[in-house]
Amino acid sequence: MTATAAPPRTGCAGLPRPPLQRAGEDRWLGGVAAGVAAHLRVPVAVVRVSLVGLVAAGGAGAVGYVLLWALLSPAAEAGPAQSRPAGEDAVPGARRPRERWSPAGGAGGQLVAGVALLAVGAAALAQRTGAPVSPGAVASVCVALAGAFVVWEQLDAADRDRWLTRAGGGAADGAPRLLVGVLLTATGAVLLALRGEDTTALRPVVLAVAAAVAGTGLLLAPWALRFAAELRAERAGRVREAERAELAAHLHDSVLQTLALIQRRSDDPAAVTTLARAQERELRAWLYGGGPGAAGSSLAAAVRAEAAAVEDSSGVPVEVVVVGDRPLARAEEALVQALREAVLNAVRHGAPPVQVYVEAGPAAVEAFVRDHGPGLDLDAVPPDRLGLRESVLGRMARAGGSAAVRPAPGGGTEVSLRLPAAALGPAAAGTAR
Amino acid sequence: MSAPALLRVVLVDDHRLVRSGVRAELGGDVEVVGEAGDVDEAVAVVTASAPDVVLLDVHLPGGDGGGGAEVLRRCAGLTTAAGTPVRVLALSVSDAADDVIAVVRAGARGYVTKTISGPDLSAALRRVADGDAVFSPRLAGFVLDAFGAAAGDVATTDGELDRLSAREREVMRLIARGYAYKEVARELVISVKTVETHVSAVLRKLQLSSRHELTRWAADRRLL
Repeated sequence: MTATAAPPRTGCAGLPRPPLQRAGEDRWLGGVAAGVAAHLRVPVAVVRVSLVGLVAAGGAGAVGYVLLWALLSPAAEAGPAQSRPAGEDAVPGARRPRERWSPAGGAGGQLVAGVALLAVGAAALAQRTGAPVSPGAVASVCVALAGAFVVWEQLDAADRDRWLTRAGGGAADGAPRLLVGVLLTATGAVLLALRGEDTTALRPVVLAVAAAVAGTGLLLAPWALRFAAELRAERAGRVREAERAELAAHLHDSVLQTLALIQRRSDDPAAVTTLARAQERELRAWLYGGGPGAAGSSLAAAVRAEAAAVEDSSGVPVEVVVVGDRPLARAEEALVQALREAVLNAVRHGAPPVQVYVEAGPAAVEAFVRDHGPGLDLDAVPPDRLGLRESVLGRMARAGGSAAVRPAPGGGTEVSLRLPAAALGPAAAGTAR
Repeated sequence: MSAPALLRVVLVDDHRLVRSGVRAELGGDVEVVGEAGDVDEAVAVVTASAPDVVLLDVHLPGGDGGGGAEVLRRCAGLTTAAGTPVRVLALSVSDAADDVIAVVRAGARGYVTKTISGPDLSAALRRVADGDAVFSPRLAGFVLDAFGAAAGDVATTDGELDRLSAREREVMRLIARGYAYKEVARELVISVKTVETHVSAVLRKLQLSSRHELTRWAADRRLL
């Protein structure tokens, strides 16, 4: 995160590029050209001319256009493609319907009637020019249209509305696209119906199937894409919900309980401090993960756990800094135990802040415990009542290491522990990094 | 150092309680000339009042979501009326290494935790105002870890940005052990000024080093 990817926020230096999406305004067909132009910051005309050129030169432009159209999401309503907070603004239901062809008020019926008339007219024209279109074909068209009309009437207004919006991709060009789809499907159906009379060639059948498939695809593709997007959004929502529930449960079990305890014991500052510290530690561990391994598996975790235990029992804050880490073997265990005694001693006889520093390097493991108390002279303490001597110095010596107690330069005492590499297990230096 | 006038300080933290707490702790040691609760407010207040030191919370709402580091970037280059740069001391409850490293790399002169005592905080502010760096034991631990100093990886030449020199490592180790600068100086038999020089050098390395581990490490290791 070195530079922390700062988006240049000076006004002139660089406006963020608008996202690549289909344009909502200034469109001729699907808004692909306008959207691409906005993204690349070139005039729309350039993109359009290039597209047309590509179409003319072998049709690549058309394929590209269709692909882009299918893959790009339509621009959001607000403003000319301003980058909005990358959130869940793409919830389709939230999109305000633009002007779109409304089937309400009999427009649907009119459309079907119009299509029927068109089909009849086309059939008549075909017959006059001698094309092999039988009256049967016209009848099948009419049957198909009647069926479509019946289905249409079955859908209630809201359903129709949604269906239309979806089939049209929720955009202004929904109606024309729907029309083309319907026409293609109908043509396919008609040609299929004709098959019985015109068996001479297989071509019309292939053509028919292709047309039907194309029409259906055209109708369903935007809907399918949108459906997939909705599914994704819903799944993400569920995951978020689960996370939120887990968070709430955890906060309830830990922070809220502690706060209640703190309120009840507000007359006891020491208890409040202890509670707050313990809660802080717990919350930290939860927020920033379990750290490198749980207690019992790594030196750093064990040191932290021991310091936390002392802190909890004594109410004195113990600051722990650990650099490096390594697996917890026998020698390291001994060091942790000695460290614990030293911390206990610092808490009992010294004064806060108590600081623990542990460094696990390849040459040695070193640990320091420092307090800010009145200071302690090891030689001046009678040997019979010095826990430090046996539990720290003796323990370290048995583990093959060494320990020293000395006054710290600014007052207070510092206990230093050291395990040389030779005393450490075969798990060679600093492996757990 | 001349007889110090009251330091002019701006407090930036999104919790009003923390701000008033810090203000109370600081008492009459410094003059709090402004407070802010989010990124945009902070930039406005700091720009308007040009304080000696900004006490800046690492986690701040608002702006582009960049938190304290964003404030630092947007306030870069500001100077006080006297012509010294406006300096920044980061204040955080966060233990997340990447947060801390982010503000330090964005230009903060140091980092202290919110549990710091009032007198210590005053001293830290004064030190930062004088152009020195302030390292808490924890930040020193970060540095030692990030530069691989525990593994004995020390620079052999001056001007090497990716490793600490042996002396810098020694200073960092003492700070991590809880030594104040004065105590570090006495321990190493050098002057406090020399300690400050070493710490500033480490700060510069932390800000400029492109040591790949630093980035990776800060991202991976969220707990220390």
